[in-house]
Amino acid sequence: MIPETIFVAVLAPIGFAAIGAMLVLLGEVLLSRSQSFLGRPWNARLVGSVLAGVSMLSLLLGLFVSIQWFASGDVQVFNPAHPLLQLDRFSALASALIITAALLSCALATYYLEVVGINHAEYYALLLLATAGMLTMVTAIDFLPLFVGLELMSIPLYALAGFDRRRLSSNESALKYFLIGSFASAVLLYGVALLYGATGSTSFAALREGFDPQSPLALTGLGLVVVGFAFKISAVPFHQWAPDVYEGAPSSVTAYMSVAVKATGVLALLRLLALGAAPLGGVGATVLDGPDAGLLDASLGQVLGGLAALSMIVGNLMAVIQDNVKRLLAYSSVAHAGYLLVGVAAGTAEAWSAAVFYLIVYTFMNLGAFAIVVALAQGGRDCERVASFAGLARARPGLAALMTIFLLALTGIPPTAGFFAKFGVFSAAVNVGLVPLAIIGVVMSVVSVYAYLRIPVLMYMHEPEEFAGAPAQAQSGERFVLLACAVAVLALGILPNGGTLLDFSLGEQRFALSVPSVLDWARAAVAFLVP
Amino acid sequence: MSFAAILFYLFGALAVLFALSMLLNVHNTVAGALSLVVTMVSLAAIYVLLEAHFVAAIQIMVYAGAIVVLFLFVVMLLNLRDDDFAPGRQRLVRVAGALVGVFALAQFLRWLAPGLPELPAVPAGFGGHRAVGIALYTDYVLLVELIALLLLAAIVGALVLAKRKLDS
Repeated sequence: MIPETIFVAVLAPIGFAAIGAMLVLLGEVLLSRSQSFLGRPWNARLVGSVLAGVSMLSLLLGLFVSIQWFASGDVQVFNPAHPLLQLDRFSALASALIITAALLSCALATYYLEVVGINHAEYYALLLLATAGMLTMVTAIDFLPLFVGLELMSIPLYALAGFDRRRLSSNESALKYFLIGSFASAVLLYGVALLYGATGSTSFAALREGFDPQSPLALTGLGLVVVGFAFKISAVPFHQWAPDVYEGAPSSVTAYMSVAVKATGVLALLRLLALGAAPLGGVGATVLDGPDAGLLDASLGQVLGGLAALSMIVGNLMAVIQDNVKRLLAYSSVAHAGYLLVGVAAGTAEAWSAAVFYLIVYTFMNLGAFAIVVALAQGGRDCERVASFAGLARARPGLAALMTIFLLALTGIPPTAGFFAKFGVFSAAVNVGLVPLAIIGVVMSVVSVYAYLRIPVLMYMHEPEEFAGAPAQAQSGERFVLLACAVAVLALGILPNGGTLLDFSLGEQRFALSVPSVLDWARAAVAFLVP
Repeated sequence: MSFAAILFYLFGALAVLFALSMLLNVHNTVAGALSLVVTMVSLAAIYVLLEAHFVAAIQIMVYAGAIVVLFLFVVMLLNLRDDDFAPGRQRLVRVAGALVGVFALAQFLRWLAPGLPELPAVPAGFGGHRAVGIALYTDYVLLVELIALLLLAAIVGALVLAKRKLDS
């Protein structure tokens, strides 16, 4: 009954995040109670930095393990007698992406928390616990760990959304997120229960074996599961919570939420579809083939395609009329959920690779845009109004230039990576015949130009309004995040197919340092799911 | 039809009816919460029919006990008014209606009963404390650990949101 071998390595990324969270909690108690060498209590700011360092260190270890696992290409399950988690190339890449987002968010938060006056160590502990939940979700090959991971991701995020307790909008954000999030979890769980009733097991493999596309029970279950995911990635019509929650939560939390939760949702959905649902050959392809194609394929592809179309239309149109930057970026993230779902709905290996690549690019460009909002916070307040960006180019030229890069990337203009990401997703959709979706996507991208490029216009062509006072300097953590995101957004755009960075000879030894293209990584990861 | 099957359909119907009643009692939250108790107890009875005594006991203790008590606490703390609670005359109509409904339901069930499938046999050892314990601490031990993390997250989150003063 007790398995002979237990592959603890599968748990390593999750474990590092969880242990990091506990160390942070312990460290906070010990450091704030103890006294330094001079007999004075530790400076709160110093304690915050130390604990941020601890959490970043644990995340770095997790990142290292994930990358190593991706490179080795091994597959291990936990535990072999009753598989719940499986570490493979796909989940390793997904873990690496999520951990990177968490790492950048930690670096982003250190100074911001001080500015806003919420510098408490619990922030890092909650962030790490949420990360552990996300890692569980993308490693799961069974509905039970998937659901527990979902809760472990969501509950810390509810608290983080309300972390700025004195601000009413933060409280409102936490409450709204909690209510809608619990509802979404319940819907997903209901779907899982119905699927269990239909197939008699909770594992993805058993779902694939026992799924009967004619059974209303199984179809309802799968539909509810998809709805649960749609809530989490804020796809229209399940998006109403997003603008309020993103606006009210502290900006550093919003930055983390908008990228990590979306990445987790899409990656876990891809994993579920690949391992548990249709025999792949193109969810989208079968939409065209008509009634003789499997019911599951066609109907699921249509549902996902419909969600994608609605998200692109509503997200971009609503983004145009926002005058709050955080709300604008919230609607933008709804629109990006739509672009991502185009890739998911198209359903070929090519389309899914494109969707994973899109996620990687989205993580950096969206995190970068939010990092600007974070860096502009002054005197305990966020700089939220679009109008307050006026004349920023004169007051803080570096930030204005970086913001322009991120917004160009979000719009999808070359040579930023945003262009190649969109191009990949839309061309994959056209290749399986989802031309209407691609057309909607392109038209809506044009609409989004107005929404995004208002801000550069204000920054460069208008007189400053609020930044008359001496502007603060961006702190080292913020600078690191901004530069990392900008480099990633530009490098992924310039090197979409990889390339050789260094190629030189030293004596008889020839060195060739080549950059494996991120697109190739995405392909390799998806190739694991869709052989 | 076996006695167990009759009990199963009886408790199944009760669970569904009182779940509906909980939804319909929007104005009277206490009645809604008490309807929830009936649903939970009916589910516990179904677990007993499955010979899952341990799960049934947990169901009663946790759901029918702790969680509904929590609900009632919240309802009383919020001090909701039930202004639109119906006066006595309407209550009589309701009782009469309920009696007619029960009678109609009984007739319906009598007509339906022969068509209902019999219950399949429960495998030996299913759902007892031993089976649950072995499943939890061998196959699903990982989930137990993850739920421990989840509880930690919930405690930390609740403290962050509710503690009077965070700075030491």
